[in-house]
Amino acid sequence: MDMVLAIVVGGLYAAGLYMMMRRSIVKLIIGLGLLSHASNLLIFTLGRLMRGRPPLIAPGAEALAEPYADPLPQALILTAIVIGFGVQAFAVVLIKRVYQIVGTDDLDQMKSTDEL
Amino acid sequence: MRDLLLVLPLLIPLSTAVIGLLFWSRPHLQRALATVGAGLLLASGLGLLVSVRHGGIHTVQVGAWPAPFGITLAADLFSAIMVVLTGLIGLAAVLYSLGSMDAHRERFGYYPLVHILLLGVCGAFLTGDIFNLYVWFEVMLISSFVLMALGGERAQLEGAIKYVTLNLMSSALFLAAVGVLYGIAGTLNMADLSKTLRATPRPDLVLAPAMLLLVAFGIKAAIFPLFFWLPASYHTPPVAVSALFAGLLTKVGVYAMIRVFTLLFDHHAHSAHLIILVASGLTMVTGVLGAVAQNELRRILSFHIISQIGYMIMGLGLFTPISLAGSIFYIAHHIIVKTNLFLISGLVFQLQGSYQLKRLGGLYRKHPGLAALFLTPALSLAGMPPLSGFWAKLILVKAGLELQQYLIVAVSLMVSLLTLFSMLKIWNEAFWKAAPAEHSASLSRGTQLALFLPVLGLAAITLWIGLMPEPLFSLSEQAAQQLVDPTEYIRRTLGE
Amino acid sequence: MSLILALVLTFVLAAMAPRLHGLLREASGWVLALWPLAWTIYLGGLTGRITQGDPLYIRYPWMPQLGVSLSFYVDGLGLLFGLLISGIGALVLIYSGGYLKKHRHLGRFYLFILSFMGSMLGLVLTGNLIALFVFWELTSLSSYFLIGFEHEREEARQAALQALLVTGIGGLALLAGLLLLGEAGGTLELTVLLERGEALRASPYYLPALILILVGAFTKSAQVPFHFWLPNAMEAPTPVSAYLHSATMVKAGVYLLARLSPALGGTAAWQIGVTGGGLATMVLGAIMALGPSDLKRILAYSTVSTLGALTFLLGLGTPLAVKAAMTLLLAHALYKGALFLVAGAVDHETGTRDVWKLGGLGPSMPITATAAGMAALSMAGLPPSLGFISKELLYEAQLHALHLPALLAGAGVLASALLVAVAGVVGLRPFFGHPVHRTGHLHDPPPSLWLGPLLLGGAGIALAIAPDMAASPLTTAAVSAVLGKPTVVELRLWHGLNPSLALSALTVLAGAGLYAAQPFLLDIAARARLKEWAARWGPQRGYERMLQGLNALATTQTRLLQSGFLRFYLMIIILTTIALVGSTIAIREPLSRWMGRIVDARPYELMIVVLMGLATLMAVLTSSRLAAVAALGIVGYGVALLYMLFGAPDLAMTQFAVETLTVILLVLVVYRLPRFTRLSGRPARLRDAALALAAGGMMTALMLMVLSAPLKSRLAPFFAANSLTLAKGRNVVNVILVDFRALDTLGEITVLAVAAIGVYALLKLRME
Repeated sequence: MDMVLAIVVGGLYAAGLYMMMRRSIVKLIIGLGLLSHASNLLIFTLGRLMRGRPPLIAPGAEALAEPYADPLPQALILTAIVIGFGVQAFAVVLIKRVYQIVGTDDLDQMKSTDEL
Repeated sequence: MRDLLLVLPLLIPLSTAVIGLLFWSRPHLQRALATVGAGLLLASGLGLLVSVRHGGIHTVQVGAWPAPFGITLAADLFSAIMVVLTGLIGLAAVLYSLGSMDAHRERFGYYPLVHILLLGVCGAFLTGDIFNLYVWFEVMLISSFVLMALGGERAQLEGAIKYVTLNLMSSALFLAAVGVLYGIAGTLNMADLSKTLRATPRPDLVLAPAMLLLVAFGIKAAIFPLFFWLPASYHTPPVAVSALFAGLLTKVGVYAMIRVFTLLFDHHAHSAHLIILVASGLTMVTGVLGAVAQNELRRILSFHIISQIGYMIMGLGLFTPISLAGSIFYIAHHIIVKTNLFLISGLVFQLQGSYQLKRLGGLYRKHPGLAALFLTPALSLAGMPPLSGFWAKLILVKAGLELQQYLIVAVSLMVSLLTLFSMLKIWNEAFWKAAPAEHSASLSRGTQLALFLPVLGLAAITLWIGLMPEPLFSLSEQAAQQLVDPTEYIRRTLGE
Repeated sequence: MSLILALVLTFVLAAMAPRLHGLLREASGWVLALWPLAWTIYLGGLTGRITQGDPLYIRYPWMPQLGVSLSFYVDGLGLLFGLLISGIGALVLIYSGGYLKKHRHLGRFYLFILSFMGSMLGLVLTGNLIALFVFWELTSLSSYFLIGFEHEREEARQAALQALLVTGIGGLALLAGLLLLGEAGGTLELTVLLERGEALRASPYYLPALILILVGAFTKSAQVPFHFWLPNAMEAPTPVSAYLHSATMVKAGVYLLARLSPALGGTAAWQIGVTGGGLATMVLGAIMALGPSDLKRILAYSTVSTLGALTFLLGLGTPLAVKAAMTLLLAHALYKGALFLVAGAVDHETGTRDVWKLGGLGPSMPITATAAGMAALSMAGLPPSLGFISKELLYEAQLHALHLPALLAGAGVLASALLVAVAGVVGLRPFFGHPVHRTGHLHDPPPSLWLGPLLLGGAGIALAIAPDMAASPLTTAAVSAVLGKPTVVELRLWHGLNPSLALSALTVLAGAGLYAAQPFLLDIAARARLKEWAARWGPQRGYERMLQGLNALATTQTRLLQSGFLRFYLMIIILTTIALVGSTIAIREPLSRWMGRIVDARPYELMIVVLMGLATLMAVLTSSRLAAVAALGIVGYGVALLYMLFGAPDLAMTQFAVETLTVILLVLVVYRLPRFTRLSGRPARLRDAALALAAGGMMTALMLMVLSAPLKSRLAPFFAANSLTLAKGRNVVNVILVDFRALDTLGEITVLAVAAIGVYALLKLRME
């Protein structure tokens, strides 16, 4: 299954990057969202998949019984998801403000800071 | 007690920010708090530097969980130097803000944001864990996003879009690299990664995350061909913010690159060194040419940041103790000079009302003090003796000649001439040429003090380093020794 | 030690000069001149020990790890230069006080002149290669500020920039050359280096170092083809032209060649390069000197010629040649300095520097005329002047040269004859020629303006009449230093009837002829359109073209790279990533293994994956923004389900929650935005798709590569064993988040807080 997920991750990266290269700022945001999913799934898969054995210590046990899903990548992804959400929320509102001020969602119209 | 020194650079900015947030609508208190906090940060950085200088590499396990299971905070000389510089720049920027920041931004959390930025930067410098590095990068990044966009002017927002997007790309690549590293080595602690990667049964896998990190940090550090976000955005926020960014943010990228390539990948990544060297040359050239083409003060300075980054990674590409010492020396020199130049550009704006070169003029005649203050960092940037930039350049050139890398040496020398040319263009237009229109600006005593004090202080440091380069160089040399041979670092972290 | 202190004090005095000028007003020039006078006396006092062969050597470590010391080595060569710099410096300061009396920035002028003086003294007195470079650059820098003194004039600014850039390129080459020399010799200390001449000349670094150092020396000393900045530097006030651009700074290159000749000299490369360059410059400079009508420009070109002669002589390197060089050095500094100062005085009194508009000033300005006359005498090389002695020595050196003495002597005669003519033009005609009708009452300038020229011109004569008083010992010491062995020099006006004397006579006759024929020659030159030809093909035009090219290149590059289009920036980053990371990927596992891994997937897992795939496609292709947002949400939920299925329930819950929030947030924001339109054309979309797919494929390949090796987590066992016992928690992931790796969570919360501030500020704070 990890190979399938590898393909999924690749697909999500591809879709995310494609969307980011579009001229609409909304597509940019969606692309960023896809990219973030891709990164998280990548960490998850590379931490090696384990079906249905969540890292919860059973009542009565003192330690986790093998085999278990690696808890560390999960913690990392959790952190990354929350950070990603914070950043995305900001980015979304930024997009909205930009649209309100510039009047268009076309990125090609937003080059003024690069003009010679 | 020593452990406290390692934690203070994180604790101080965090507390300052949090308390500042509590006083959300009392800018006066926030200003005082921010200044005190910045001063304390500088002091704690100096304390840390002294401690590491005398006591060697210092590590602390957060929560007392043993390495590599918990998160390690580690300070070697390189980290300590960077923390001191952060404190210095933080203080300069805050002082300048006292005199220049508009009340609106101050009421929307400007000072706390600055301190969270400083928190993120210090965290990045002091962490010994690669995922923790990612977290501090994100802290730094989000506060820089908000500072960039704070105020909501059109240029800021347009610049912010590019800034945000490209830096988020960098974060995504960084995260992917962390995932790959964990997938190969099963650990996140950098010292442990160093040990594990060195002994890995699959050395063919190691280069991939190295390249990912090279691109991720390369975007952050603004090397060629990944720097486009910088000139598109750095000149849009208020000057104190630009100065803070210019001095610190890209250097965190450079720091991460150096750290990662000396600690994690030193054994398997020789091809990376060549790539970095080539990139450094291209960065130097494209950066300075970009500066030559510009006619707005801050944009010129932004492109120069890129060009100078090329010098800093040249030392990394050459990868000898002296070249790394040169990089560290250069980083220190450049942070001070660059921040100062941005602050001076702000002064020019205050006095003449514009950043456009053709609208400036006559400053040499009317403000000779400012002229002298401009010349110090400007000539230092161009590598003119006896200022800090000369020694920085000399060390790198010498390192290059020793390795017989004549091409990069020639490029670096040519670029320094072009840098001089660019600085002289500013001098010509803003200072020597007669003013095209009369613009009277008077600044109150208090404002003047707040604005000139950091500029004067930074210029004095630049001059001091130029006249007495030996202390900084010996510090850099020792730091480089610690980088080139990570055994001590690993020993102090993992404790065998 | 006192030498370093004296040098430091020079710079300190420079920094205080504007203040002092404010206090002393009219007397500032005279008072400030006391300091260089003190230097002169101090250096003069050292003459005794140095002529005995006991040079002064002090060393102060500056950057020991790099071999850089602030060391000072005062021998005969340094002494000669030092005396010239401080002596003429004193006179120039006095002169400046008078010449720039009413100038608002006179205080700053003193600052720059004194800084220059300190830098120049440091240059000639230092004994360390890098310290020398430091002073070298400082002289270029102070020269920049001095040339651009009239900074509100565009010509002055351009001239200053040109001088700095040309000498700057030379400076950089010099740095590289000096460092290579240091590598070859194992040290940066001159005293040691000069003893290792043999080893240096045999080293593989010799030739590159020589070429680089020569570029440095030639640009500074205005050798052809780098000479063009010097005439343009005449934009500077006259005292600057006199001091920097004739007597001292431009001699720095000559100094360097003299200083390094024991180490670098004698080889074929040296002979060809230095002698050839010098000879060409000597002749061309002299020819060009007859062209201009501005006094200062004429003097500038003649300086170029003399610098060429000096270079040429050092290239020859024989004892006779070196004797001639040192004598010429002294003579030229004296007469050229005097002539420049006279030009300034004339300009000050008459308001013009045009040679064709000046004439017959002698009766009205007797003191100035005397000074000019004496200096012109020396320049023309007529007895009894130091210039005459030096010219005789020049001819002797040429006639005794090993190769092509006839050619050399011929060139020497040509150049000298031209200089005779020039001497007539600048020293004779304005004062003793036809009076040109002038209005107003003309008289000698104030003492501050005639003291310098009189003393300098007079010295040129006095030192020749009584050479053993000062000239012979000084040149003895200098020549000994350059040659590296004690050599006695006895300067005499009369050497007996010899070929040199004959050549001198010939020179004078030829020179007189050229002087008389000057208008005729200028006419021919004008008809031949020489000026236009030079303007089109000369090095000045080359410089201008290079600047234009630079600006064009810079603009093109910036337009290309920093185009303003975010997608291009992204594209380049993606391409770079693919190039760098893609090249590291090499998949080892055979296809069969991969198939096995797909087969082990459960059907419902595959269904989720397929659903996610379809949703992704929809997000990409749809033109409805809400549909795109919904599709994104589906993808997110699919990911959450996958988390759940693979043992990550906390993760799944968080993902569900965050995804829901994201969708709501996006809907709120996107609701009022316009529908997606097809903004890019088909080829662009295909190109982007190809790139994106390549990147995605690369990531997949990377993952497969990593997955092909087993993973032994070094951290999980610890967490598994200690989560309950040490950290008191059963949910290991939670325990990691709040205990083992709590610092991460602190950062994460901070990010959220900042994001919240950011959102609030974006919504509420609108400044335009």
